[in-house]
Amino acid sequence: MTRALGWLATLGLLGGLVMGFGVAPREVTQGNVQRIMYLHVPTAWVAYLAFGIVFFASIGYLWTRSDAADRLARASAEAGVIFTGVTITAGSIWGKPTWGTWWTWDARLTSAAIMFVMYLGYLLLRSIIEEPEQAARYSAVLGIVAALDVPLVHFSVYWWRTLHQPPTVMKPGPVNMPPAILAALLVNVVAFTLLYTYFVAKRVNTLRREHEVLA
Amino acid sequence: MADNWQFVAAAYGLAAAVLGGYWRRLVRLDRKLAAAQARRRNRPADKTHKIQ
Amino acid sequence: MRFARRAWIVVWKDLTIEGRSKETLNALLFFSLLLLFLFQFALGPDRERLASVLPGLLWLGFIQSGLLGLGRTFVGERENDCWDGLRLAPGDKSAIYLGKLAGNLLLMLLVETILLALFAVFFNVDIGPAVPGLALVVGLGTIGLAAIGTLFAAMTAQVRARELLFPVLLLPVQVPVLLGTVKATEAVLLGEPLGAVAHWLRLLAAADVVYVAIGVLTFDFILDG
Repeated sequence: MTRALGWLATLGLLGGLVMGFGVAPREVTQGNVQRIMYLHVPTAWVAYLAFGIVFFASIGYLWTRSDAADRLARASAEAGVIFTGVTITAGSIWGKPTWGTWWTWDARLTSAAIMFVMYLGYLLLRSIIEEPEQAARYSAVLGIVAALDVPLVHFSVYWWRTLHQPPTVMKPGPVNMPPAILAALLVNVVAFTLLYTYFVAKRVNTLRREHEVLA
Repeated sequence: MADNWQFVAAAYGLAAAVLGGYWRRLVRLDRKLAAAQARRRNRPADKTHKIQ
Repeated sequence: MRFARRAWIVVWKDLTIEGRSKETLNALLFFSLLLLFLFQFALGPDRERLASVLPGLLWLGFIQSGLLGLGRTFVGERENDCWDGLRLAPGDKSAIYLGKLAGNLLLMLLVETILLALFAVFFNVDIGPAVPGLALVVGLGTIGLAAIGTLFAAMTAQVRARELLFPVLLLPVQVPVLLGTVKATEAVLLGEPLGAVAHWLRLLAAADVVYVAIGVLTFDFILDG
């Protein structure tokens, strides 16, 4: 089952590459460097999805005390941190030729960076608490706090950057989306979502077996 | 504007390295667990040591 | 209402203990004074530069003292082996949370007021007309800090590397509060009407509601088992 997901993800990613480099046209203002968008935007979407899953799994764990929910939360948080890291790195690399600097306190990058640190804290909490049941309970609470904080972070950072400030001249991402670009973007979103699902499925599987082997 | 392919390569390359690295870690964990479970099945009387 | 009574007992107990030893209060006040000197040394006498960074400095000071004070919320229970006493207390545990939150709020607001007065005096800033606006912003911001701070303090009380983990967990989550309060304080100190920063105030209020609600709903799970 997991293996099938793995193959599907691989197919999806290959399709995404074909779409992103073959089908999508060269962008008018930025040139080919804009193709980083087919990496940056899908991984950002997956990161949000991952932390959303952490939220629901955390609530699920506190409600039902089901170990499966706990494993899902943990696996999704791991994947989420990885994808957020990729998002930030890709965004930063994209920013260098387009904005002129490696880092700018742009609303999206800053939000992503804060999310990254929050969920890194989640994994840190899990690794520090030795007793498994306590770790599960505490990280569930943290998962809920972090997830509900994400929209607050989003708005506050966005207002911080955009109010009373002129909009940046060059923003990553085309202003209008020709259908070929949109299609390439969507294919990549699906591909990375499949990759995320594969990662989580595999991680949950290893977590469950780790538990069985130690029991 | 210049095409900056080196940035595209850097971004995709790093992403591949990170995602691939995580995947390899999962696969290695998988194999270690499979080995531990196989050992357990062959010698059910013994206690399995905690895997690192 | 037994719930309110339980919460009140927690507040009263903590305030009495604090009132007798004044340990935390003294430490926080002394720490705030040190921060004041540090800022002055770092910035020098340049008044214009000072005016522009004052809101940020002020809240840095508040957060630093907040971290110290909040981190110690459950130290008394932990050191005196009273943690189980908390766990076994009858009734809704969120009463304990609210009691601890109220105690923390009172302490933090006291320290912040004193720090604000010291800032005004030492940096020669006239904050008179801004006081009502400041009171609102500082109040909203402190509730936000204390709400999650109290919850995380309980979470990290029994954990190793508590002093490290507590700020690492709390600070990223508090970014909206930090941004909102600094921006709103900036406006208030510049003499702008509160309406100009209404969106920030609404964000702070929303954050406060969310944080306190989470605290009330999940505190039980922190004390459990």
